[in-house]
This record gives sequence, C-alpha cells and structure tokens, in this order.
Amino acid sequence: MDTKHIELVPPLVEAGKSSDLAQSGHIVSASFSPSNNSLALHLAPLNLTGSKTSTVEQPEAVYLAGCDDVPSSERRLFIADTVVIFSMFKSMLKDAHLRDPTWLQTRQALEIIRKLSVDYVNFIKECWIHASQPISRPEPLQFSVEHYRNLYSTFSLFVVLFVPEPGYEDAPVGEELMEWLNIHFIEPSTEEGDQLSSLDHPWEDENFWSYLTRSTIRGFSKASLFFLNTLLQHSSEDLQELVKILIPLVESHPRLPQFTAERDFAYASRKWKDKVKALRVEMDRFLDESYDWWDPLSDLIGILEGRGDVIERVCEELGADWKEVCAAWGIFVDTRLRRQDLPDVVADVLETMPPDPTNLEDMMLSSLFSGHADQVLKHASDFDLWLSAHLADIMEPLGLLDAELDFESGVTKRDEYVLAYAEYLRSDSTLWRITIAYLYSCGRVGEEQADEVLMRVPLSLNAATLDESLTPGDTMAEVVKDISAICLEHSRESVRRAVCKIASTMLVRSRDYGMAVSYSTSAEDWTGLGRVIDAVLDEYIQNGPVVFAGYASKIAPSMDEIQSSSRTHQIFAHRLMFTVRYSQMHKMRLDRDYPNAALDLLALLRDEIAPRSWWPILLCDAVEFLQYGPKLLFSSSDAIELLRKLEEISIRSSQGSGDDYLTVLIRTIKGGGEKEALERLKQVRLAIARYFARCTVGNG
Amino acid sequence: MPSATVSDSVPIETAHEDMIHDAQLDYYGKRLATCSSDRTVKVFDVVDGDASKTSGGHTLKGHTGPVWQVAWAHPKFGHILASCSYDGKVLIWKEQQSQASAGGWSKVGEHTLHTASVNSVSWAPHELGAMLACASSDGKISVLTFKDDGSWVADIFNGHAIGCNAVSWAPAVIPGSLITPQQQSIPGQQSQTQSVKRFASAGCDNLVKIWGYREDSQSWVEEDTLEGHADWVRDVAWAPNIGLPKSYIATASQDKTVLIWTKDTATSPWVKTALDPSSALASPSSSSGASSKFPDVVWRVSWSLAGNLLAVSCGDGKVTLWKENLKGIWECVSDMNS
Repeated sequence: MDTKHIELVPPLVEAGKSSDLAQSGHIVSASFSPSNNSLALHLAPLNLTGSKTSTVEQPEAVYLAGCDDVPSSERRLFIADTVVIFSMFKSMLKDAHLRDPTWLQTRQALEIIRKLSVDYVNFIKECWIHASQPISRPEPLQFSVEHYRNLYSTFSLFVVLFVPEPGYEDAPVGEELMEWLNIHFIEPSTEEGDQLSSLDHPWEDENFWSYLTRSTIRGFSKASLFFLNTLLQHSSEDLQELVKILIPLVESHPRLPQFTAERDFAYASRKWKDKVKALRVEMDRFLDESYDWWDPLSDLIGILEGRGDVIERVCEELGADWKEVCAAWGIFVDTRLRRQDLPDVVADVLETMPPDPTNLEDMMLSSLFSGHADQVLKHASDFDLWLSAHLADIMEPLGLLDAELDFESGVTKRDEYVLAYAEYLRSDSTLWRITIAYLYSCGRVGEEQADEVLMRVPLSLNAATLDESLTPGDTMAEVVKDISAICLEHSRESVRRAVCKIASTMLVRSRDYGMAVSYSTSAEDWTGLGRVIDAVLDEYIQNGPVVFAGYASKIAPSMDEIQSSSRTHQIFAHRLMFTVRYSQMHKMRLDRDYPNAALDLLALLRDEIAPRSWWPILLCDAVEFLQYGPKLLFSSSDAIELLRKLEEISIRSSQGSGDDYLTVLIRTIKGGGEKEALERLKQVRLAIARYFARCTVGNG
Repeated sequence: MPSATVSDSVPIETAHEDMIHDAQLDYYGKRLATCSSDRTVKVFDVVDGDASKTSGGHTLKGHTGPVWQVAWAHPKFGHILASCSYDGKVLIWKEQQSQASAGGWSKVGEHTLHTASVNSVSWAPHELGAMLACASSDGKISVLTFKDDGSWVADIFNGHAIGCNAVSWAPAVIPGSLITPQQQSIPGQQSQTQSVKRFASAGCDNLVKIWGYREDSQSWVEEDTLEGHADWVRDVAWAPNIGLPKSYIATASQDKTVLIWTKDTATSPWVKTALDPSSALASPSSSSGASSKFPDVVWRVSWSLAGNLLAVSCGDGKVTLWKENLKGIWECVSDMNS
C-alpha cells in the first residue's frame, strides 16, 4: 500500500526544522477524534524542562487534521445520490435471502441487478456531463472531469462484461465492446474527417489512410464509404477497380445486431469473408506494381479478412492500444467471441501491447477485460474508494468474489471494500446516515462500527435549529426518534438504549425532567430513572417547594406508565410515586387546600411512601398544618403518628444512625449539620405538643 | 484518491500560557479539552474543525503544577472531565446546568492519594459505570469508582517500581454479547455479567502490565506482564474491540519502538509485533530486528474509533498512521508532517 502524505497548512513546524524540534525537547502529539478520523495535533514538551521553542510560531495551537479529503461540492451530491441505488440493491438482496437462496441466479434477479448497475452508469454519466459544463460553480469541483470520465468508462465496461442483459450472457460480445470503445475512446476525430473531406484529393493527405483504416476498425461504415468513394477519382485505374469491389463489401459487412438468430449471422459472415478472400486474390495481382496505395489498402483488407497480426500491427501504428485490438478482435477475427473466451484473447494481446502501469484507468480496464475481479478492485480502490466499494457490492452476488469470511479480519472481500469506503465517509460526521447505510451492510464488524457512529450522532441541545419554533428539547427528540427508527430497522436495541441514556442525562442538565423520565424508562435504565427523580427532589432542596412542584408535575404523567410496567423495579416506582405525590401535596398547600394537603402528608408518612431521609422534611412541612388556626387538620391519632416518626428520628440519631434520616434536612440548612437539623426538629416537637393541647381543649 | 493531502485548517488558538501536554476531543468530537504547563485545563467548542467563535473557551483552574492529561467521561454521566497533574492530584470537573449558553465548569472532586506526579488518567468503558484509572510517578495505580452522588471509592495499589506513565482500559463488552437479554437486566444495576474490568498500565520498569478486577476478592490483580521494551514505556493504548474476539494493545517507548500486542482468544498468550518504520512494514519476524526503530522516542499512541487505525507520535515531529492489512502485517498508511 502506498503511504499517503499529509501536510499541515499552515505548518506547525517549518519545513526542515523538525530536527530542531526534537533537539529543543519537543514532540508532536496526536490523538484521534471519535467523531471522524481526524487527529488533534499539538506540540508537547518531552519533559518538564522543555521550554518554548523559537522554531514554532504558535506553540500553543491545536490542529484538527483529517486523514481524508472531506467530501465537498459535487462529490457530496454524488455520494448522497448513489447511496439511493446502493440501498435499493441492498433491499433487493435482503429479499433474496428471505426467498430461496438460488433466486439470485434467476433471470428476474439478474434483471434487477442489471437495472441497478445501469442506474449507476447513467448516474455517473450525468455527473460527468455536469462536471464538464463550463458553468460558474459556488465551489470548484473536488474531483476532475477526467475522474468522472474514468468512473464512467470503467463502470460501463464492468456492466458490458459482467452484467449483460439476462439471456444474452452467451451471445457474442464484440459489438458491445466496440460500442463501449466508441463511446469512451472516440477515434478518429471528427475534425480530422472534416479536414480530409474538404480536400479535392484527400488521398494525397498523409492522414488519409490512417483515418480510413481507423473508421473501418471502429465500424463507421459511412465515413469509410465516403472516403472509399473519393478513391474512385484516383489516377490509378487498378486502385479504382479494387475499390469498386471493396465498397459493396464494406457496405454489406454483416453485423450481429442486423440478425435475429446467431446462426444466420454466422452464415452471412462466412459468405462475406469468402468475398473478402476473393478481393485479396484480385489485389495480389498488383503485388509487383509497387503502388504507394498497395500497402495501406492491403492492411485494410487484412483487417476485413480478420487477420489478427494485421490488426495488432495496424493498431500499434495508429497509436491505438490493446483495448482497440481486443474490441476489433470480436468484430473481425472471431465474430462469435464469447465473454468467457475474452480473457484468453486479452492475455495474448496484452503480451505484445501491455497496459500502462502508471495509468490507473488502463489498469482497471485491462483487469476487467482479463476477468480478474480481485485486481479490478485493487486498482479501483487506489483510484476511488467509491468505485471499489460499489463494484465489489455487485460482484459478490454475481459470484465474482469469494463470499467467505476472511479468518483473520472476519470480513468478506466485498465487506473489506465497502468498509474502506465507509471509513472515507466518516471523514465528515454529517454524512452519518450514509455511512451507517454502508456499515450495516457489512456483517458483524460493520454493524458494530455503525453502532459506534450512531451512538455519536450529536444530540446537542445547543445545536442551532433552522426551525425557531422548536425548543432544544424538541430538536433532540427529533434526533432520538430518528436514531430509534434506524435502530429498529437494523435491530440495534442496545444502541437505542445507550442513546436514550445519554439523552436522559442531557435533559436532566437542562431540567427537562418529564422527557428525561421517558427516555430512562424507554431505555429501561432504572439507575438513570433514579438519578432523574433525585434531580427533581433536589429541586426542592435547592429551590424550595414552588419550583419543585412545577418540575414534579412534569414527571407525574410517567407514573401510570411506569407503575403498569412489570419490568420497573419497585424501588424506583416507589421513589417516583413519592416524588409525584409529595409535589401534589405541595400543590394543594400552595392552593390553600390545607385539609387535603394535611391528609396527603400524613399518608406519605404513615404508609411509608416517603423515604426515611425525607421524614424530617415532611415533619417540618407538617408544622404549618399543625399551626393552622381555623380548624384542626389532624385527628389525635394522626398527631400521634407524627410524633412516633419524630421519636424514631430522635432515637435513631442518638444511636448514631443520623445519616439515614437527616441528610436531606441538613442540606436544606445552609452550612448546617446534624445538630442544627435536630434543633429544627425540636420546633416540630413543640408544634405537635401545642397541637395536642388544642385537641384537649377541643379548640376546633 | 489523491495520494498527497493537505489538511488545511485554522489552528485553534488555545491561549495557554505555556506548552500543551494533551488535547482530547469529547465523545461527539464537538468539544476539545486541553491542558498545559500553565496549570490550567481549557475547554473549547469545536465547530467544523475550528474553535467556536461564540465561546472563547472555559479555563479550569485548580492544579498547582503542570497538567499532563485530560480525559472526558461518557456523556451518560454528564459533562465530566478528569485531569491529572505534576502536583500529584487528580481533579474531577463538571459542567453545571447550562444557564443560557455558557455552562460553567467547576471542580467537583479532588483525588489526593498519590504522593507524586499523576501522569495519566483514563475513564473506563461506560458499561462498567463511572470509573477512572490513574497512573502516578509514585509507582502506584489508583482506580476510582464513582457513586451516583459524585463521591467515590478508591482502590490504590503498586503498579510499576519507579513510576507509572500511562493507563488504558480494555473494551468492556465481550464481542457478540452486545445485547443483554431483557430478563437479565436487573433493575437498578448495570448488567455486568458479560463485561470485564481490565486495563493496561505502562511503566518506567520497561514493562506493560495487565490488571483485572476479581469480583470474589473485590480487588485488582496483576493478570499479565508484557516484556519487550528496553526503556521506559511512555504510552499504552488498548484498541476498541469492534467485531472480533482478538485484542490489541499498542505501546510506545523511549526505546524508539512501538509494539503491537495481540491476543487471539481469551486463553491465548499475548504476541508482540513491532511497527517497522524503515520499510513501512512490520511482521512478527522483524519484531526483534534493529530495523524496527523510529528515528526518535515515541511518545504517544492513539487508536481510531473503529480500532483499525493507529496514530503514532514520534519525536521527529511526524505523526504516522498505521493499519493492519489482511495478511496481518502492519503498514504505514499515512504520515502527517507537522
């Protein structure tokens, strides 16, 4: 693998000064960002004595440097649009697995695979055309026009060779190859033709014969015939005589698309070749005349005769390469050339006309022609990870790749390339949806990577939203909903729960307790639920009953749901019930509904719904009811119950168990301790004593 | 793909008054924490690879010596940072409820059981609960286990004679057991039946040690000692375990080598392989060769989220990125010139 070089701009250390850096006792330190594969880089001293270095302008700066170019401009569109085709392909395969596994070999399956492959080709073509347009763009193209042209030529060839129209797998491939060559590697040029046709005696031009030969190889019979006709004006009568025979031959060259049955085509081809042979006999009559036109005309007829050596030599002279020879082979040499026989022909051609190892496109195309799927992918991944991933994705169901898991890495060949593409997509965390679409298609390794990506989709409450009517909580709810749906689709319950837990913690921070309870419940995170309830109770301690009652009312609706859920642990249901009922008591109190508030308060204590640490608080709350003038709110047995609780607190505290009872009360007394708390409870005792006195005198 | 990439980004001006020792991005990669010889920790919001213009960053003051490392806790525990310093302390910082947009950071804990510089802090995988491992020059390692109210219990034990330089936790979840069946999730308790409390430490005794928690004796025991470095082991990083039962640990040493330790299954031994910068290739056979040395001391190793890329910071000012190919050979895939 080639090492990729990344340069920081502006540089942290000037070029050539990195040795100074080490000598001055500094190093560069790097740590990965979890959101994408970027690194946080900074200078660090090797030891304590390392001081500031003069070779660096900004020794206290931190760089965030990416390993990949973040997709921008047209590339983002390309990525976003092709994932649509990829996903359709994926769901097709998913359905296939549900059906009979042999379904993939059926005509129906192959038709779908071909359709989606052609979709890719058409889409790449559109991108290429779009990139070629001389329009002003908001950002420059990230990938060149040439890059898209290469993608187009490569993907098209892949489709021609490996995803033929179902039913035509065994048909001769020559015509399709020549058509592909004519679309992607246009020769001879129109300008050349225009220039020649403007001449009175075009055959006098040095390019005449090469143009005529190339048009003939490419099957442009119109152009060939035009210039052959001009030769009828040539001064050599012998030539005129030969051309008169040649013209109808070129006109009547049998081409496969003109026939409905291959047998008819084969028969016509044979007959036609016999006529070409007859022309060769005619031609040989002038062998000794040393005409200057004899050699090029002989080559032309040699091509029509299907002489491989002539085609190879002529192509070489024309500056054409192995591709042209291979395509011409299927038209002239072996008109019935099959896809499966092509690699043998290609191997022979490549021996004399090897591909250009410095040209990735040439390497990809020659590997495709040779039928070496692994080589194709290797070169494609060097060219563009998009290409290798999407080719591999189609190659596997077609049986072109080994679908076995690699023992070491635990992934298949296909997965390896798709994972590499997904990793490239991770360079931009906003592409997470697309990234996980690819990752979730890659077995267990991919699923677990996708989980990590999904769990790191920011839930930030501070995220700027376009829709101002949405609160930060709403925005987060949207994100969580989105992630939950994806988790459901891919059966990733653990991820959904993990995300809900984080959401709950964040909501507690922003005091959105109602939502926090829902998320904790949804994640079945009972410890988390306990933390939310504690936070609500904390509101009482920090901000008093009014604020507390307001927040607690937000979590009240969750209580029914939680109590009806058999999975909720009793402790948390109990704690939640206390919080809600305690807040309701305060609400009644604030609404001056003292009789009911007093009843509720007593019930919380008597039925021990209130945790022991909250008894002192409730008893302090009771003072207000005990002192209520208009009427006695407690029966004397109720008052005895209050006293009993107070006694328990006093006795247990004196025995050293004050921590169990007094912690919450202590927290409400700023700067106070156990002593102050007990002092506060004395006031409760006094209030109860007075209340008993009122009961005795029957002051109601 | 173009083979030369330019990473064009505006450096984040931290305004630290002295050199930075550590820079860590949070769980979402949205916030950057830095610490410095100037005794402070700073927190910045990062927007598109740049420090947010709206918030100038928060400065967290409390240490009385250079701050070596910072570590972000998992967000389910809240916005929490741990920092460790030459002053021998580990401080726990928490961002309090956000009033408007500016959240305020305050110190919520101070761990003072070490008697010398604390060189490294590392939060355990979140599945284990809020736990923090700390490595100190006093030769000891401490593990803090936090309770819901923010208080903690500390286990402290001898790690490496002369001093401990770094700690790194093993992934908590045994592969394949990600989804805990619902009937097993005991309410009010993290399901810990399938998770493992384990971490690695790097020391001045040239050793790397593996520590595991024994539930029966409620204590940390030394499970393994990895011998291979010839000088102080500066950093250790346990790779996230994505999809495979194989475990990976990377260690960086003063001896100018980086070793990759692998363990195929729970019962197989640790096998070491040295990264070979000279040929940009490494294989087990070259692990003992002299060729596998970096040009300078190797200070830091860091794994990517998926655990498939390793960043190596070397004293020559270069950061190299390494990847294991399908043949099990470590290749240098990128180098970053600073």
